[in-house]
Amino acid sequence: MKISDKSLCRLFILTYVLVFLGLILLFSASKGTFLRAKGIFNTGGIFFWQQLIWVILGSLGLVVGKRFPYWNFKRLVWLLYPLTIFLLILVLVMGQGKASRWIRVGPLNFQPAEFGKVVLIFSLAAYLTERNVNQLGVFIWSLLITGVPAVLIFKQPNLGTSFIFLLACLVIMYQAGLTRRRLLTIVLVALSISPLLWLTLESYQKERILTFLWPQRDPLGRGYNLLQSKITIGSGGLIGKGYLHGTQTKLAFLPEYHNDFIFCLLAEEFGLVGVIIFFGLYYLFLNEILTIISSTRDEFARLVAAGIFALFFFHATINISMTLGLFPVAGIPLPFISYGGSFMLVALFCVGVLANIKQNAVMF
Amino acid sequence: MEQEKVLASIVRISLLVLLVRCFYLQVIRFPYYANLSRKQCIRTIEIGIPRGRILDRNGRVLAEDEPCFDLVFVPYDLKHPAQEAELLSSLVPIEKEKLIAAFTRKYRNPFDRIILKKSLSQVEVASVSENAYQLPGIFVQAGLKRRYVLGKVTAHLLGHLGEVSEEQLERWKDKGLKAGDVIGQDGLEKYYDDLLRGIPGGILVEVDALGHHRRILGEKKMQPGCDLYLTVDRTFQEVAFEALGENEGCVLAMDPRNGQILALVSQPAYDPHQPEKFFSRPGKPFLNRPLQGQYPPGSVFKIVTEIAALETMSIEEHDRVECTGEMTVGNIVFHCWKEDGHGWVDIDQALPFSCNIFFGTIGMKTGVSRILDYARLFQLGEATGIDLPGEKKGLVPEPQQSGGPLNIAIGQGALLTTPLQLLSLISTVANGGNIWRPYLVKRVISPAGKPVKEATSQLTGTVYVTPETMEILRKGLKNVVAYGTGTAASVPGIPVAGKTGTAQRGASEIGLSTHGAFACYAPADNPSLALVVFLDKAASRQAARIAGEILRKILLPGQEESSQETTLGTEKRDENL
Repeated sequence: MKISDKSLCRLFILTYVLVFLGLILLFSASKGTFLRAKGIFNTGGIFFWQQLIWVILGSLGLVVGKRFPYWNFKRLVWLLYPLTIFLLILVLVMGQGKASRWIRVGPLNFQPAEFGKVVLIFSLAAYLTERNVNQLGVFIWSLLITGVPAVLIFKQPNLGTSFIFLLACLVIMYQAGLTRRRLLTIVLVALSISPLLWLTLESYQKERILTFLWPQRDPLGRGYNLLQSKITIGSGGLIGKGYLHGTQTKLAFLPEYHNDFIFCLLAEEFGLVGVIIFFGLYYLFLNEILTIISSTRDEFARLVAAGIFALFFFHATINISMTLGLFPVAGIPLPFISYGGSFMLVALFCVGVLANIKQNAVMF
Repeated sequence: MEQEKVLASIVRISLLVLLVRCFYLQVIRFPYYANLSRKQCIRTIEIGIPRGRILDRNGRVLAEDEPCFDLVFVPYDLKHPAQEAELLSSLVPIEKEKLIAAFTRKYRNPFDRIILKKSLSQVEVASVSENAYQLPGIFVQAGLKRRYVLGKVTAHLLGHLGEVSEEQLERWKDKGLKAGDVIGQDGLEKYYDDLLRGIPGGILVEVDALGHHRRILGEKKMQPGCDLYLTVDRTFQEVAFEALGENEGCVLAMDPRNGQILALVSQPAYDPHQPEKFFSRPGKPFLNRPLQGQYPPGSVFKIVTEIAALETMSIEEHDRVECTGEMTVGNIVFHCWKEDGHGWVDIDQALPFSCNIFFGTIGMKTGVSRILDYARLFQLGEATGIDLPGEKKGLVPEPQQSGGPLNIAIGQGALLTTPLQLLSLISTVANGGNIWRPYLVKRVISPAGKPVKEATSQLTGTVYVTPETMEILRKGLKNVVAYGTGTAASVPGIPVAGKTGTAQRGASEIGLSTHGAFACYAPADNPSLALVVFLDKAASRQAARIAGEILRKILLPGQEESSQETTLGTEKRDENL
């Protein structure tokens, strides 16, 4: 395997710089944080080491994605899509009354919703290839293909991920040529349906969504978390407190410093300078994906790449907005950075698929 | 292409917005957040919510929250744990070692308030407050504690509170519970926990170096729980508890016209204020005998046998059987409780004297499966659906596994019932065939005074019995108290109908004493009260005596002395029989 293509080279370098940055931050997060599940203070670098294993596994996933001709997925989705739906239903049925996002396979917990993201991208792309999204039938089918898994995930309940599904669907449809007017229609329809959905909810579900939208309603729970998140970021200042010297994170004000709130750690220890560099890296990475979309003329590839773009873009912006108090706390990880095996695997596999698309672009 | 350009500009705009936000927080607001971060002075404080009250049918309080003072500490704010523990142990009766252990433990959130001691005395409050400046991180905080007005008397009815367990937290994720919360762990407190608990509130505060409040940053309004109005009568409850005394067993009463439970008592009871002290006591103090104790019903079941025999026309009213004190079926000798035998008896005499030979004989004529069918018609072997947790179903066995007609006819064999099922049975006889669901909560009132729930009587089934059969049965039950085995339950001036039951424990337990039961209703002609007394280790005569004591106190208020005499009188007659 030769990486002669400069664009491919940049993609890999950017990816692994981000992954490395994530590991560095996780190492810092590991120091002195509290392990809720085990009831002990963590002194070793447990998140770091576990994540390192996932990075290695993910890199295998990347190689697979790069080697495996992507167009095979056009047919494979007939198998993968029903399987995903089955697994999502299984999670709902098995985990009754519990936080039902995981399925245990041997020693590993894996989240079908994470893999569902990629499967959805392939399925929708396969469906829309050589179809006109502006035809009403096609348009409605696309929404259904997205809607079924999104509703199942919403039921888990995992509001954030089902939201990501819908956004990814919109981007793929837009890439497929959906007119702006239709795009606008979807948004308006979604807005007008939401009050109806609201009426069907139980009061405790309403309360949960209200505190989800306005954390101030719950000053002891989410409101407290948000305030601590802002203190952590704000106290980082221009140049930060220095690596491993973040005071907020070390006192474990938030339960999720290694996970959804890892951006706080970055902002606290490396300050605004670190944030700017991080944003720069992310901008370059997303830009590289857009270049890959432009480089191929295969419709399926373009749609898949657009879906992957949406995945990374919305994950990153929603996660960061959340820590900055601009978006409800949604349980969405920061790609390449947050602790979590399933998503790391998915993210690196997606990079592999992008590489595969780029390599084969000359053929089309 | 066009799309990629649009997407690229969306990326640029989004990242720019986020960057501006970071600039605002990290540069413009830096002094503010840096200050907050340096002092670590944000705390959350929970405000206790009063649980709803529980009141009896006449609005008399049975359980309510009352204010108290709790001693709490914030692990992070302790400056010199050892010295503070030393000083504190001289002010409140907690050992120094225990305090040090509590202070030096690692906590999940070092800023949470941890309760050291609930409900301080006035002197303790004063002495801790006086020394507050030497005790940074230790505070006296207003709290609430549950008070059960009748204590042990309502232990099994109301239940008790306790900290939510890990397993409960996992199971009830949606209920907004968190570790350390106190919830109902038994009785009505558990069954109606969601309504009683309310929604906790709290404040988010900025504190100074000693940990005292400086500024409130956020507040969440609490919402107190709802009040429960019961069908239970407080006086009846007390009378029943007193009459039961130290006997292991239970007393329960209901209105046979609608299923409203009037009293529910179980012994041994525990103190609901400190249930933990009773966990290892003998006699299963946490067993709610009325609905969780499963016993062979004994002769009380003869009611069902009689109905089955008459309704299936296996016998007629005046068919007679000779009781010689024993009978032999196959190679098994079957005894009547009266060794000399009752002589020739028909059903009108057999029920009052509870003749086993007579009922064994008609049981064989009727057949075990038909008797058990009637038992099922009366919904024995099914939970009654009372609004209390942990109700048992009893057991109506299959005919092959029942132990045979002789045993089943007299309520032995594999048959098992809860005392509550016997109450339901006798009520159904009292009201002529309606099976009402027994219930305890009549009304639920929100803190704002609005009714949240209004319970109505619920018919769970009807047993059709011909008036002739009913007539014979009722006459017999009346005679049980008039001159039969249940004379101790008589009330001067008011006819009472009832049935005694003395059940042997399982064959493996021979040598143990018997269970004694008495189920009755009054007044016999127009019943407004059904009562069951069930004793774990006693004869039915004692159960009837307890029932009589309760009936007289409830039906003839203010005439206890005179009725006491009648009890003695009837007892003498009882022995002569």
